[in-house]
Amino acid sequence: MSLEQKDKKSDKFSFLVRNQSIVVPIVALIVAFLLGAILIAFQGVNPITAYRSIFSEAWFDSDGLLRTFQKTTPLVLAGLAVTVALRIGLFNIGAQGQLISAALAAALAGIYFSNLPAILHVFVSLLSGVIVGALWAAIAGILKAYRGVHEVISTIMLNSIAIGILDYLVSNPFKEPDQALQRTKKIAETAMLPNFGFIPLGFIFAIAVTLLISWFLNKTTAGFRFNTVGKNKFAAVYAGINTKLMIITGMLLSGGLAGLGGAIETLGITYRFEPAFNAGLGFDGITIALLARANPLATIPAAILVGTLRAGAASLQFETGIEPEIVDVLLAITLLLVSAPILAKFLFKNKAQKNANVTSGWGS
Amino acid sequence: MQRMRTLAGISILALVLAACSSGTSDTAAEGGMEETTAAVADDSNCAAAESFCVGLVTDIGKVDDKSFNQSAHEGAMAAAAEVGGFYKYIETTDTKDYAANMKQFTDKSYDVIVTVGFLMAEATVVAAKENPNTKFIGVDQFQAEEVANVTGLIFPEDQAGYAAGYLAGLLTKSNKLGQVLGLEIAPVQKFAKGFEAGAKAANANVSVTTVYHPPADNGFADPVWGAAEAKKQLSQGADIIFGAGGGTGNGALIEIAKAEGAGTSIFCIGVDTDQWGTVPEAQPCLVTSAMKGLTEGTSDLVKAVFDGSIKGGNFLGTTGLADYHDLASAVPADVQSKVAEVVAGLKDGSIQTGVTL
Amino acid sequence: MDFIRENKKPIVTLILVAVIAYTFYFLDEIKTTSVLVFGWGYAVPLVLAAMVGIIGERTGVVNIGIEGQMLMAAFASFFGSVFTGNLYLGILIGIGAGLIMGAFLAVAAVKWEMDQIIAGVVINIVAAGLTSFFYAQGKTLPDLMPVVSIPLLSQIPLIGPVFFRNGLFALSTLFIVAAVYYGLFKTRWGLRSRAVGEYPSAADAAGINVTRIRMLNVTFAGALAGCAGAFLALEAAGTFARGITAGRGFLALAIMIFGAWNPLGALAAALFFGLSTAIASQLQADEVINIPQQFVNLLPFVMTLVVLAIAVGRVRPPAAAGQPYTKEG
Repeated sequence: MSLEQKDKKSDKFSFLVRNQSIVVPIVALIVAFLLGAILIAFQGVNPITAYRSIFSEAWFDSDGLLRTFQKTTPLVLAGLAVTVALRIGLFNIGAQGQLISAALAAALAGIYFSNLPAILHVFVSLLSGVIVGALWAAIAGILKAYRGVHEVISTIMLNSIAIGILDYLVSNPFKEPDQALQRTKKIAETAMLPNFGFIPLGFIFAIAVTLLISWFLNKTTAGFRFNTVGKNKFAAVYAGINTKLMIITGMLLSGGLAGLGGAIETLGITYRFEPAFNAGLGFDGITIALLARANPLATIPAAILVGTLRAGAASLQFETGIEPEIVDVLLAITLLLVSAPILAKFLFKNKAQKNANVTSGWGS
Repeated sequence: MQRMRTLAGISILALVLAACSSGTSDTAAEGGMEETTAAVADDSNCAAAESFCVGLVTDIGKVDDKSFNQSAHEGAMAAAAEVGGFYKYIETTDTKDYAANMKQFTDKSYDVIVTVGFLMAEATVVAAKENPNTKFIGVDQFQAEEVANVTGLIFPEDQAGYAAGYLAGLLTKSNKLGQVLGLEIAPVQKFAKGFEAGAKAANANVSVTTVYHPPADNGFADPVWGAAEAKKQLSQGADIIFGAGGGTGNGALIEIAKAEGAGTSIFCIGVDTDQWGTVPEAQPCLVTSAMKGLTEGTSDLVKAVFDGSIKGGNFLGTTGLADYHDLASAVPADVQSKVAEVVAGLKDGSIQTGVTL
Repeated sequence: MDFIRENKKPIVTLILVAVIAYTFYFLDEIKTTSVLVFGWGYAVPLVLAAMVGIIGERTGVVNIGIEGQMLMAAFASFFGSVFTGNLYLGILIGIGAGLIMGAFLAVAAVKWEMDQIIAGVVINIVAAGLTSFFYAQGKTLPDLMPVVSIPLLSQIPLIGPVFFRNGLFALSTLFIVAAVYYGLFKTRWGLRSRAVGEYPSAADAAGINVTRIRMLNVTFAGALAGCAGAFLALEAAGTFARGITAGRGFLALAIMIFGAWNPLGALAAALFFGLSTAIASQLQADEVINIPQQFVNLLPFVMTLVVLAIAVGRVRPPAAAGQPYTKEG
């Protein structure tokens, strides 16, 4: 090997080293798929066939592509909700409760404000969802700021409380009449979010909000305060930041984002509220936020990955008989490899960057 | 470069496995595929008149849930095998995917699609209107207006509950009955209210304790809660308990089977299918099950599609009580005959349960 | 005396619970006993799982993967019993699975210094995926978990049948709590563990091997998660179902914090929570108050928030919980 060649090679390598925050996730994904392939092969199915069925359904079929984006949308927003909370050092396990409360609120606005013109109706319905989600989260924020109640407890409790209250509301006052199912009526057409081809309008909102949140967290004074509170509460107090206010605002923002996700689900896909919809979305938000290492922009690819796998899972079972749970195993392996420093160390030896911690434990 | 080699090693291993398995995947000799393959080898030719393809989409849940998904799955599979058709299923993981899952089957021009569970009612009708050449069988789906290619397989759950309650009312010594139930939704409520009505009709002194699982995502899959609730009701004097609610109810049945006096003074009653077979742990106490003829009904309707006799609208499936099995000796002859009368009376309409939701 | 001063809140709670329970006991013996049995049964997995959390966090490792550890153990213990045909081998296999899951968290969070919450989430997802993927229906346990009555103790009114006439796990739970308490606060191991959890660099300077003690504690705490899982499958339900843990691992985290990272506190908190759940179910059964069951069933969650907001207030987690420790130099 001539010296020149060697130089070129190390150039390439140093390019990879410099961009390892992108390289590592990609390699992680590849390794996860290879390990998944072994699992699939043990089921007597050709892994290539299996993966092809996932992706041809999720990306190369116009209905499938729409569904991929529809699934991605609430995941982006739930992921952002968890991310924002993480940035101020709070662990919001309650995105689920905030999201479902908002989904009902948006449905009610969509049903009962039916005399509004279309664009206004959509706006009002989305806003109802955002407000309800934000307020539901704010309970945890206020309890934390003024009574020191740990947000992990309060959000877990608030999730269960939300499920109970919503169950009552859709079984009684807001139940669709003459219907065995516990669900609301359908929303008015003026409140429905349209799809542009395979891109749902809600997805565009989600992207716009992500950019906004990214700008807010990284470029504004308020965002800087958020991060300061999250990184070092004592420094924040010393710097004269009102941490109580920051905690409550942070939870409001976090809940509002989860709420927007729930509202878009109602207005763009389900068109009504039914308790079985939206199951697990808030918890997926945690996975997304961690996969994205609490970086708002990275929630988009992370959510697209999860959305793709989920959208393709049905086709996977149809084509190959593999059970859809394999998708979760793939995700878990990816998350592990993205987060564990082993892969980076393995690829880049001593040049590996040390991952900063995404979460700060429980804070206090 | 050591690391690159290791990575390459993993890839090669995966590819080799892929190559090895590709040989078997065509014949689908392993895994869940073999049982789903009936006489017709694959579904590449469903549009042709001579090949009969049956698809099934589960409600959230799996085909081995020991409950309604499993029953419908077994019915559809058996019917497909009987008429030499091809059968395949998809397990739904997200309620928002019902339409997409049905589309997998309609894209391949399946002849009939069974959709399981009342949550899918609306999605089924929408898909049916889009695919007029495909027949849809909606299990537990009441059809308010008739669509030519949708047949709703519905059951009078209250009647099954009533018959079970009547038996319990006659059999109880303590005059205390219990119910451990899944979520408070329509089919469960019909069973529960029917049970209470039947028990009171048989025995005016009886009191029935009714407890639903608290609202949660796992309301039908919480055997731990079901067992604890059953234990509590037992110690408060209930001697016959109706466990209705998927895995939650099964947990109750298994707990009651452990009780002292199970099968002699303590009994449990299962739901949906004959749980003597699906929950063998419950056999010591399982006197009967309030059955919905899910397997039979699904199978009959699939076969009706095959011979062209299927009609749109609602098809009333049968309900009834399962066999007493080994506990027949614990049920006095006069009780048995009275219960048989009630079952017959419910069938011919001379007895009304009076249950409204 | 120190013991009472250090554990004021749990002791007051336990006494309060006891007073209320015995009052009701004199009004209705059967009902009160059965409600308490339900409450303690509900509390057992929460207590065990909370011990896992406490041991971890007291040593500086947050364990949000308890749910997954329990689920894996429940799965392993059930299918272990089924395939070996022996209940006790199943118990061992379940505890072994818990140990392995504990060791996984230890390696990921301590050795690799991975973000601890991510490591826990990975465990949860993997467990949910694998146990569902490999679940096989139609299997039944070879044996029932025997119910043991401890002589004399089980004769005490109310407390006897509730705590001392139980399956093996429910019976051991009180002793496990006592052991964890004693271990953490009265032994050298406990002192070292807590030092590592509060101030790892000082502990290191004092010659304690931070990595080693964290690895060991997190791994062996996994065995307790194994007990909790085996309890659910073998003792409480007598079967395995997908997602059988049903969020109990997360609830246990809430219990741990509610109990201020103190084993006795967690015991009191879990009892409180289990009892409110039991009371809610009894209110639904008795139909004494005419409100929808959805609201009755909110009781434990609302009560917890109210109690925390009014009475407990701020609690302080171990200072280094969640922080990976890298030895300087």
